Amino acid sequence: MNLIVQFRRDLLIAAAALVVLVAIGLGIEHAWPRDFLTAIFAAGLLAMSLNMLIGYTGLVSFGHAAFFALGGYIFGLLLQSQAFTGAMGAASVPLALVAAVVGTGLYAVVIGAICVRLTEIYFAFLTLAFQMFLYSVILSWVDLTGGDQGLMGGIPRPEFLGIDLGDQYHRYVFCAVLFVVCVMIMRIMTESPFGYTLRMIRDNATRAAFLGVNVTRVKLICFVVSSSIAAVGGVILALFTSGAYPEWAFWAQSGEAIFMIMLGGLNVFLGPILGAVALRILNDVVQMYTSHTEIVIGLVIMFVVLGLRRGILDFVKDWWVEKQQARLAAENRNGREG
Amino acid sequence: MKKSYSSPRRGLDRRTVLKGAAAAAAVGTGITGFPAYLKAANTPIKIGVPTILSGRVAILGESSVSAINNEIRKINEAGGIEGRTLEAVFRDSRGKPDEAARMTRDLVNNEGCEIILDAEASGASFAVNEVVRDMQQFCIHTNSETSSLTADPKNQVDWVFRSCRQGIHDAVGGGLVAAKVVKEKGLKKWATISPDYAYGRANTEEFMEYVKLFAPETEVITETWPKLFQPDYTENVTALLNAQPEVLYSCLWGGDLVAFFDQASLYGLFDQFTAFAVNLGDYPVLTAIKSRPAGVYSGSRYHKDIPDTPENEAWYESYMANSDVLPTNWAWQNAAAVNFVAEALKKTGGDADTMKMAEATAGLTIDSPFGVDGTLTIREEDHTLVNYMVGYSKTIVDEPYVVGFDQTAWSEIYKHEADWKKRNGYA
Amino acid sequence: MIDFDALAACLSTSACLVNQATSGLIIGMLLFLVASGVTLIFGVLHVINFAHGSFYMIGAYFAYTTYVLTGNYFLAALVGAVGAGICGILFERLIISRVYGQNLLMQLLVCYAFILIVDDLVKIIWGAEYLAMGIPAEFRLPPLRFAGGFVPPFYLFLVGIAVFIGVGSVLLVTKTRFGKIVRAAALNAPMVSALGIRVNVYFALLFGFGCALAGVAGALAAPVRSLTPGMGLGILVESFIVTVIGGMGSIPGAFLAAIILGLTRSIGSVGFPLFVDGAMFMIMALVLIFRPTGLLGQGAVR
Repeated sequence: MNLIVQFRRDLLIAAAALVVLVAIGLGIEHAWPRDFLTAIFAAGLLAMSLNMLIGYTGLVSFGHAAFFALGGYIFGLLLQSQAFTGAMGAASVPLALVAAVVGTGLYAVVIGAICVRLTEIYFAFLTLAFQMFLYSVILSWVDLTGGDQGLMGGIPRPEFLGIDLGDQYHRYVFCAVLFVVCVMIMRIMTESPFGYTLRMIRDNATRAAFLGVNVTRVKLICFVVSSSIAAVGGVILALFTSGAYPEWAFWAQSGEAIFMIMLGGLNVFLGPILGAVALRILNDVVQMYTSHTEIVIGLVIMFVVLGLRRGILDFVKDWWVEKQQARLAAENRNGREG
Repeated sequence: MKKSYSSPRRGLDRRTVLKGAAAAAAVGTGITGFPAYLKAANTPIKIGVPTILSGRVAILGESSVSAINNEIRKINEAGGIEGRTLEAVFRDSRGKPDEAARMTRDLVNNEGCEIILDAEASGASFAVNEVVRDMQQFCIHTNSETSSLTADPKNQVDWVFRSCRQGIHDAVGGGLVAAKVVKEKGLKKWATISPDYAYGRANTEEFMEYVKLFAPETEVITETWPKLFQPDYTENVTALLNAQPEVLYSCLWGGDLVAFFDQASLYGLFDQFTAFAVNLGDYPVLTAIKSRPAGVYSGSRYHKDIPDTPENEAWYESYMANSDVLPTNWAWQNAAAVNFVAEALKKTGGDADTMKMAEATAGLTIDSPFGVDGTLTIREEDHTLVNYMVGYSKTIVDEPYVVGFDQTAWSEIYKHEADWKKRNGYA
Repeated sequence: MIDFDALAACLSTSACLVNQATSGLIIGMLLFLVASGVTLIFGVLHVINFAHGSFYMIGAYFAYTTYVLTGNYFLAALVGAVGAGICGILFERLIISRVYGQNLLMQLLVCYAFILIVDDLVKIIWGAEYLAMGIPAEFRLPPLRFAGGFVPPFYLFLVGIAVFIGVGSVLLVTKTRFGKIVRAAALNAPMVSALGIRVNVYFALLFGFGCALAGVAGALAAPVRSLTPGMGLGILVESFIVTVIGGMGSIPGAFLAAIILGLTRSIGSVGFPLFVDGAMFMIMALVLIFRPTGLLGQGAVR
């Protein structure tokens, strides 16, 4: 019962967040908030879904962006195919979205089945190898993917249910809804008993196995779900840029997602989103003042890692907990003395 | 294993936290500065420039920045346009298409840029093309040489132009010069070494197509495709040696071309074959190559003696006096773009409105140090630059590094370009 | 996708065979130098130096400047190695030692930050232009002919140095007092430190030595490869492939894997030019799937 109450609260928060996001998008005429937030939706889903692996399950993946890219490419390629849009008509966009998620999920089943058996560093390198393999395929298969130029000529977006994704307001609201729904799915997964199984595997896989958990299967389920959600991020970015590019499957994209998680905090649910926002703002602000963006961002990372030694929200959370404990301790002491 | 003996520094003292807070506040004020909705008369006309300022091709982006700033300085010192000055805002996309797309939107939406000069390389320029199409934003592509960007009707946009070389133009010029050379020397067997990406493949295919057209007995016996930014070309050099061709073509560029030349010289490659390298003629490349071979045919990029006019000499002097980096092909293309923008703005009376600018730019001819007969034109039908210097020179070891410029007549280029467009279904 | 005719034609002519085999060896040996540093540091200190490519770049730039100033290539190579080594020691003391024993991501991030900072510093100090050292006068000789193939003398020197250093570093770790102390300290630092040995100094020296190996590679590459900020990234990825294939921590493994990779590249450029990179990652994936500890690595991973 407790769980339902908890999720009711989360659902209410999610609904409120969606209302706020939509209000920002529709209420402000200026395009900047919409652009900024749409980019955050895409990067945020990539980072949050990766954090299901890293933060909750202890699986450090260096190759998560492969699924992000795959989602974008499946979505874009289907909509660019006249055979597909011709046959599906108004249902093209939703079907392409479903195909991107399911297709990426199936790919993740294959990759995940191979990868999740390995431990930390080997898992990281194997996911990296598969990601770079996909990157090579995208680059070499020029006839299909356009190679390094990506999908050219824009992605057609046939209207469905009165939603025209060519219109920036419609597109924004559509992306916001996708984003909030995916975040909610992740929330439910991580706060359910399944989520606590993930944490147990992270903390002690052997113990979990002794308690009868099929560790490999649970890891694989988590891997597939998080990859499918990353694919939604790719779809959002494909809608936003009206294309898909091989850089999305490059290791640097995964690296950036890892940095967002570490910057925001990997033990707080919304940490990766904060990381995505912080990184984007940092990048944009630094660009306004200097061309030496690399050095500034490098120094900020150093500060976070060596100074805070954890992400921003992790730091806040630890600080809060410490303060509470100190207060409790002080009260106890006073109580004894008094 | 755990290494607990090197004790991690726990937490933070208050001073560090305060410093962090101060920094955050500073960043915060920076953010409230934007979005900046600036659009009043007598404010500068802002030109947004997404380009590449980090990584292996940063030099090209930096030379673009220098050229743009220098042209803007000259225009502003002469009183600006209708009382308004120009101002450029640069963004480093690191060559990533989605970053270029996002930054282009930011430049328009936040910085209030009314004009976009897309100083990206090929990959990202297609992304910028889609963004400016979507935003209905006046834009000039200044660096992408990929022909299809403006030639393919699919990519054409009414308010988007190109002020740079186009692969097909260089291919016709290169084909003509190469055919002449191979016929004189009786050479037939060709090999190519070009970077394995869209530009490299399209450029090489177009070049060889024209060599074959002008010298039909031509035969390509081997092709080797190193990756873009590959550090080592030994395996490609030996693959060329194994094939034993008589002539070599390469569209490698920048640092890649430098590395290839130095590595190929170790094997005495240039003593064995005649070579054509379209991108060799850039100053930073020519000056960086240590074992600079003589007698290699180099496509025209930017050179202070091509064309050999006082105007070009003056432009070179002015650029060098105001730049930390040597001029490149990208430098003149961006300088020309600024000149086109200024001329179009004069025609619209300083109004940067997209449609008015588009109307003013289509078919526009300007005086320019880079043009044949001192003029450059943006052609009306496909919005691309014509009448710039096309041709090949031969390298020598010392300054001016290249001599004997063999200029291709534009009448020839027009003729073959029209055929090419028909063949590809573009016209 | 695979051009069997070209492959067969090449494998059946001695000239092609010599050319491609030597070029595979040359590519492989520079990779080996960088990878042996990565693997050495991981084998002993159990940290992954994701910033190793930066030391390759530092070595190349230091060597370049020394060569421009003195015209002495051997001195330049020495300065490149020692300079990279010193930078490595500083990096270890100031940064990496603070994340020993922390999770992988912390190590990854500080290295990433270091890469960004060093790339930008190089751009500030040396400029964004491509620099090239050129072949030193000593090696400006025509290529040697060997069974119809060509072998430039400089590359013979390069391969010789790489093999020499590879053997040397194995001996350093297995036979010398220094190696024994470092390995003992890695297993049980408090114990070794109780013997009055300053383990931190040994760790820093070992880290510096690993970086110096990358510096040598950079100095050896400087005459033939162009120098640009960010040049370390390409070799970093390849050297990780080598490290993983060979077995993390195994120098002989890195040697074997580097040769395999070099040959894949050189044979691949004849037989399957479009899929050379894909093939490298495929080999890496296969090794990780069937023998996660690498070809010559040891220890349990499951």
